[in-house]
Amino acid sequence: MKIEVVRKVLEKNDQAAQQNRRRLDELGITCFNILGGAGSGKTSLLEALLPRLKNKYCVAVLEGDLATTRDAERIAALDVPVVQILTDGGCHLNATLVQQGLSRLELVGLNLLFVENVGNPICPANFDLGEHRRIVVLSVAEGDDKPSKYPLLFKDADLIVISKCDLLEHTRFNLSAALRDIRCVNSQARVIQTDTKTLRGIDELSQWVSAEPLLGKD
Amino acid sequence: MHEFSLAQSMLEVAVSEAQRVGAHHITRLKCRVGDLRQIDGQLLRDAFEVVREGTVCEGAELDVEKVRARAHCSRCERDFEVCDGDWVCAQCNGLAQLLEGGDELEIISLEAEVDS
Repeated sequence: MKIEVVRKVLEKNDQAAQQNRRRLDELGITCFNILGGAGSGKTSLLEALLPRLKNKYCVAVLEGDLATTRDAERIAALDVPVVQILTDGGCHLNATLVQQGLSRLELVGLNLLFVENVGNPICPANFDLGEHRRIVVLSVAEGDDKPSKYPLLFKDADLIVISKCDLLEHTRFNLSAALRDIRCVNSQARVIQTDTKTLRGIDELSQWVSAEPLLGKD
Repeated sequence: MHEFSLAQSMLEVAVSEAQRVGAHHITRLKCRVGDLRQIDGQLLRDAFEVVREGTVCEGAELDVEKVRARAHCSRCERDFEVCDGDWVCAQCNGLAQLLEGGDELEIISLEAEVDS
């Protein structure tokens, strides 16, 4: 017999993601999923951003990596609660791994949660983790062709950070070409240019995060 | 290389469908995969061959139907299918924006042998 159905391949992940989101909603926590290629500057961005946020909000971080706890150590050095999720070779985080990570964090009283995904421009984009907002980091060092090469990564982003802008003058990165290609797949996302050496754009980033609707509510 | 975990997820969907209809064997699965997912159809079939072993899907064929994204060119108001990541409108050379589709990832049919 033939069975006609329409079932999402990732339905199990999507259900776990919905559970995560509901739980975070109940606790009044806004969650950001940070995605980008390896070396795009996701951890450096958090290092620049967290000191500004932690005075105003209770912040925590889930660090996804294939191996090592190096990134988690960098976050812990800022005196921000952090849990390392090691995927043991897996190329992306999924909602179940995040669920396990959440169980190791003190969630009560928390306002903001950042989940730094595994450095990879392809696979992580497929998996909803239960986040409220998606931040994609594209570094100048990677090249301006990445929005065309990895459209799914950019398609569902709420914010796109162009990082390492201090390198613009040393590379052939064409900013207007990158922005033009981003707009082919995403006409809505906010774009912020940053540089963690001079902290350019970090105030703007902090304001964007602080403008989230769940924040400021009791 | 996310094909393997996607093949695993496809198997889980197929197994639960088999239980739902009381099938003892699934012989064929058909899925729709959007181009923007950047999934290699052959790799997906290879991965499925590995994960299906010893399950109700043992020996089942996996058909992969690729779906292209549709884009809209605002300069000449034309809609077209995006091929190979090319967003340039063939009519006016303008750059088009994503209209719909390209991110499909679903099982759309199964062929099953049911206990009589």
